[in-house]
Amino acid sequence: MNQALVQPETVTAGYGRERRWCARLTLGFEPRHGRTALPHLAHEGPLRVQRPFYPEGPVCHVYLLHPPGGLVSGDQLAIGAELAERSGALITTPSAGKIYKGDSCGVSQYQQVNLRLAADSTLEWLPQETILYDGALGHSDTRVDLTGNARFVGWELICLGRPASRIRFDNGRFVQKTQLYRDGLPLLLEQQHLQAGSALANECWGLQGYPQVGSLYAVGFNQEPSALLEQLRASLEPLIGNHLRVAITWRRGVLVARLLGQDSEQARHCFTRLWQQIRPALLQREALIPRIWLT
Amino acid sequence: MVTIMTTCTGIPMPTEINSAPSVGSSRALLHLLHLTSPSLPIGGFAYSQGLEYAIDSGWITTDSELQQWLQGVLGEGMARLELPLLLRFAEAYRQKDEGAVNYWNHWLLANRETKELLFEDQQLGLALRRLLVSLAVIETDDRLPAEPSYCSQFARAAGHYGVSDSEMLTGFAWAWLENQIAVACKTLPLGQTAAQQLMMRLLPVIDQAVATAQRLPDDRLGATLPGVALASSLHETQYSRLFRS
Repeated sequence: MNQALVQPETVTAGYGRERRWCARLTLGFEPRHGRTALPHLAHEGPLRVQRPFYPEGPVCHVYLLHPPGGLVSGDQLAIGAELAERSGALITTPSAGKIYKGDSCGVSQYQQVNLRLAADSTLEWLPQETILYDGALGHSDTRVDLTGNARFVGWELICLGRPASRIRFDNGRFVQKTQLYRDGLPLLLEQQHLQAGSALANECWGLQGYPQVGSLYAVGFNQEPSALLEQLRASLEPLIGNHLRVAITWRRGVLVARLLGQDSEQARHCFTRLWQQIRPALLQREALIPRIWLT
Repeated sequence: MVTIMTTCTGIPMPTEINSAPSVGSSRALLHLLHLTSPSLPIGGFAYSQGLEYAIDSGWITTDSELQQWLQGVLGEGMARLELPLLLRFAEAYRQKDEGAVNYWNHWLLANRETKELLFEDQQLGLALRRLLVSLAVIETDDRLPAEPSYCSQFARAAGHYGVSDSEMLTGFAWAWLENQIAVACKTLPLGQTAAQQLMMRLLPVIDQAVATAQRLPDDRLGATLPGVALASSLHETQYSRLFRS
């Protein structure tokens, strides 16, 4: 990990309010010779992918890498993926993303994700959680555009502070925007301006003081998957309680699971369990845990 | 209030009904009272927006916890979603801008976090449109928008009757508050007097919510309230319930 990047206090003159470090990664997937290839790959700055691999035949598995390990003030990550017709990919990350304490000038840290799915394509977007360090000024903007019968399952897991080290998210903010569109019309729009220590962070109608916040979305079912919804709810029963609250709903063609919890391991485990059941139902693929999650 | 409504709907005088009163007139006030009356026959009383679950599950057990909940939903949710959307619908209908009506209607429905919150918006929207057709406010075949949200129809009616924008927002928020208090009276131990006192304590929050809504730019609209979304999702499978949301 690059120490110069993780210690904002080492940053001196020449930065300030105008500081902007952009990194961009654009992935283009296409079907080739019976499987999904990654023929288009462009990057700027410290964002990479490992060589794609194929643990289950045609689906292209890709790990996103951000060598600095986290975002400091002025960092702007832009990640784009385009799935051509009949292509299928799974994208994940080898470790948690981090948004470090913002600098004294209050310069924000941005992550923007744009995923575009052509008809008949599938994408699984399963990044590990994003940890907001105390004092982070994070912005996360995710937009998914589906065409026709494209199918998508994705999640966002946020960890406010570092509860394992008893460090709370007492300062800073997190602005999160998530948008799902199909054929140009919005299916799901969510926006949250979370100020550390606010009523939204602590009250019963808000995040209820929980440090783990997650949403999982699955789109592309032909109709309401009633049996699956029932199965998912039943599978949650042994996991949930005051330490972990999860609920599932189905609205406007999108299956949504929302989570509030104490522990990041439990939150990840819970979403993995849901994804393992959604995968065969939505994508007709056996649930295969990406090896990188086990290391 | 019931008397006013019966008078309004009981005497069929199409020319009278169709004439649009000037903005701010006492006729406009009467129309706003009508639109926000708990006895408006659109079925608003049947929905709790997750409040029934929050009470049933013990998240809310006291008057002050109820106040916190209502204050949050009003100040952080409605102030950033329904109220500013009413303004956009009102303006779009005034400009006869079909594209804008449809855009904001899709936008609002996509912001509904759960099955029941979406269902409520659609059902109230359809019911209010039927009522507006029967009151000759809109034509039978008027389908703007095709899948009307409650806010879209409320703004349309308010505009037709000459209700000013800020009074439209205030009336909408008041009707919501009265309904939520009615839910609490049926599910919490909450007495009539305590309920009235609570409503009075929340009046300043309505003022603030209306003020917030009036200054929000388009790119700051929308507010997901995770606790409300959880409560509303969990209400779907609540064992015994009085309300449809």
